[in-house]
Amino acid sequence: MQPNIKTGITFGIIGGLLTFLFGGWSVAVIGCFMGIGLGLGFGGRIEKSTPFNMAKEASKPGFTAAGVLLIVSLIQNFVIQGLIGKSQAELNTFIFSNLIAFLGSAGLTCLVVSFGGYDKKKEQTYKLALLAAVVIAFPFVDNFTELRWTAQIIFALIFVILGLGLNIVVGYAGLLDLGYAAFFAIGAYTTGILSSPVHNTEWNFWLVIWIAAAMAGLWGLMLGAPTLPLRGDYLAIVTLGFGEIVPVLFKNLIDVTIKEPLTCWILPLFRIQTTCITFFEHADLTLGEKGISPIGRPYLPIIGEFESSKPITWYFLIVALILLSVFIINRLRDSRLGRAWMAIREDELAAAQMGIDPVKTKLAAFAMGAMFSGFAGAFYAAYIRGIFPSVFDFSASIIILCVVILGGIGNINGVIVGGLVLMTADRLFLPALKDFLTALLTHTVLPSISNPAVQAAVSANANPILYRFLLFGLTLVIMMAVRPEGLIPNAQVRAELHANEEKKG
Amino acid sequence: MEITKKQFKFNWRRLLFSALVLYVVFLIGPIAGLDVPAIVANIQSNPSQLIQFLIIGISNGAIIAIIALGYTMVYGIIELINFAHGDVYMIGVFTSLTTLSLTGTLTSQDPVRIVLGLIFALVVSVVVCAVLNASIERLAYRRLRNAPRLAPLISAIGMSFIIENIGLIWAGQSWLVPLFGTTGGASQKSFPDMLGILVKLSGFNGGDVNLFASTPLFTQWRLTLNVKDLLVIVLAVSLMIGLYLFVQRTKLGKAMRATAQNRDAAKMLGIDIDWVITATFLIGGGLAGAAGLMAGLYNNTAWWFMGFRAGLQSFTAAVLGGIGNIQGAMLGGFLIGLLASFSDGYLNARWTNAWVFTVLVLILLFRPTGLLGENTTQKA
Repeated sequence: MQPNIKTGITFGIIGGLLTFLFGGWSVAVIGCFMGIGLGLGFGGRIEKSTPFNMAKEASKPGFTAAGVLLIVSLIQNFVIQGLIGKSQAELNTFIFSNLIAFLGSAGLTCLVVSFGGYDKKKEQTYKLALLAAVVIAFPFVDNFTELRWTAQIIFALIFVILGLGLNIVVGYAGLLDLGYAAFFAIGAYTTGILSSPVHNTEWNFWLVIWIAAAMAGLWGLMLGAPTLPLRGDYLAIVTLGFGEIVPVLFKNLIDVTIKEPLTCWILPLFRIQTTCITFFEHADLTLGEKGISPIGRPYLPIIGEFESSKPITWYFLIVALILLSVFIINRLRDSRLGRAWMAIREDELAAAQMGIDPVKTKLAAFAMGAMFSGFAGAFYAAYIRGIFPSVFDFSASIIILCVVILGGIGNINGVIVGGLVLMTADRLFLPALKDFLTALLTHTVLPSISNPAVQAAVSANANPILYRFLLFGLTLVIMMAVRPEGLIPNAQVRAELHANEEKKG
Repeated sequence: MEITKKQFKFNWRRLLFSALVLYVVFLIGPIAGLDVPAIVANIQSNPSQLIQFLIIGISNGAIIAIIALGYTMVYGIIELINFAHGDVYMIGVFTSLTTLSLTGTLTSQDPVRIVLGLIFALVVSVVVCAVLNASIERLAYRRLRNAPRLAPLISAIGMSFIIENIGLIWAGQSWLVPLFGTTGGASQKSFPDMLGILVKLSGFNGGDVNLFASTPLFTQWRLTLNVKDLLVIVLAVSLMIGLYLFVQRTKLGKAMRATAQNRDAAKMLGIDIDWVITATFLIGGGLAGAAGLMAGLYNNTAWWFMGFRAGLQSFTAAVLGGIGNIQGAMLGGFLIGLLASFSDGYLNARWTNAWVFTVLVLILLFRPTGLLGENTTQKA
């Protein structure tokens, strides 16, 4: 079989499997995304020629993939839907969505590959334009097709910002931070405390988001200052502990009393009479497990107040925040500070000899990284309208780390792709797989099992959401073993990670 | 000699800094229950409680010390924080509970059978955890031995996550262990108080779990020293002595110490490094398995997330004692156990983990080498 056709079939099957789970209009959306993915993957592998010739070359895998997708979609609609006890799609919808999927996937493959035929500058512009079109069109298409993916994609994008922030710490400065969700929590709680009617302080979101970022950065400094002079693995465990404590802190800050110790009991011990200075007495800051809710929302002149029933406005807000973050991080990376981070990551001793202060530089990375999670926290708090301490536990930190590792340490594009892949897998794919499996089992296997205990055991364990930690854990272990540089590697990191192998060989 | 003089020189900056840290601890400490006047009043009104907390602290500290040994041994040899170690201990709790359930020990009325069942559960738990720990090393760490430092740490975190998920699934299998109930794997499960049942059935000490209940001293001070306290302490101390003798006296122990000192040199002298590392993981895992059964019997709970918390406390214990140092881990374990017990009793149980963590940061600030640790070279 020709390799082109093989690539096409692989992509078609991956797209088809997704269609299996979602059904309905999803085939059209998935088909278009598959086309772009195939185009990007295939485009880099063929020889450069004129755009038309390249498109012609790409049509083979493009149409193969589209064909496979069509077949899978037919099976899904006429066989699987019946098997899992759902009705088939309306003929009208079915024909339209499959037509769009077929033409869209094949056409977009050819289009993306044909960009490769232009010179470098034009190619970049065209690709960016296509990307912008997809990003802008996505929520409207989603709204029209009633897939309701936007709300989940917003979560994925929150984790993209978190990943970008952690990437500064882990990727650029090479410090393993295992408690990054703590800063996320600090950002969210700052927003909660400052803009919730619960505390009678309803500050404007556009102001609070900056305060939240500053607060998270400040805490980054406070935690980093004593711990950053330590060696790397001690730092990992201290941040792990910090990540464990901060949710406990927010859970328990319900009866805060702060008294100045000198005047209240130390001096009286020596029989010196003083008046006790009290800062807080029985103040309830975080409302414990109940969480802070509601929280104020952003307001813009033309759009009005952002509402949770309209995810499109939130979607564009988070996209804007990501663009801002990417811009800042890009500039930071190329600045003197950014180059100092990488120098420290490569060889701390050598960097110190060149006049870089390691502690100060690391501290800057820690604080900057924390700042971005403050942004994400503020957005999260306003979007959910309520914050609860359990959201920010240890697993959140590890999921953010997974995002960075999967995408590629030290690479902005990689982190964005990693965040989207991992979080859509977690938030869209696993629940859909769960529904699919449950429906499939109740209509096929379960009725044939007579023993009720076995039946209960099978149905309880056939829940993919139970295995999500396994998914993240395996991501980390397998990536470290097989491809430590991530899906989209940074050239420098890759060279560093494989340096030892070459030395050995 | 000059260096020692310099070390003991009085340092004003350091003193001021310490005073500042102390002040901050006392300033914000009351949020987490550190209300000094209240604590002093509490102790004055009921001084015998202090001894009771001491007993609880030593028993809990014994378990923490056993887990900490696993951290410190592995760190001593391959300089890696085995994040999955706490979760191996959690698997130990579940293995022993499942073994007890499958052998019918939980429902048995025969004291001899219960004793045999407990011994069998100890063996199974030790073997399962030892093999699990060694396979973690084989699967996740061995190929990363020469990789940059970050890589095995990340792999260890991933492994910890995987094992936690296994525990979560395990706790949901009510067909295997009926005791788990139908509430799903996420909730805390109860571990039956087998020692209490055993004492009642056998009529030992008149069926009373409190060993010295009839002694005037104990009744007057309202103290309890339970059978389980004694068993945990005896078992833990004998394990520690056994391990110490093993490391100091046997050939494999010598090979371990040699590998910890200088891996390349040990290799040149004909020591099979891979086997030594595997043996270290086996011993560490076996200790975690024993700690699992002990903790189950002592605290009477099994939870999929218990390994993470215990891991954090044990690691702090290992750092407090000086990481890589076996006696240090034992000392640190007991100290952390006491700290946790006093924090539970006098400060606020909800904040105990926060206090343990504060201690970790303070040690790292003032004495990163720990109480008994030597000054190791800083390899970033």
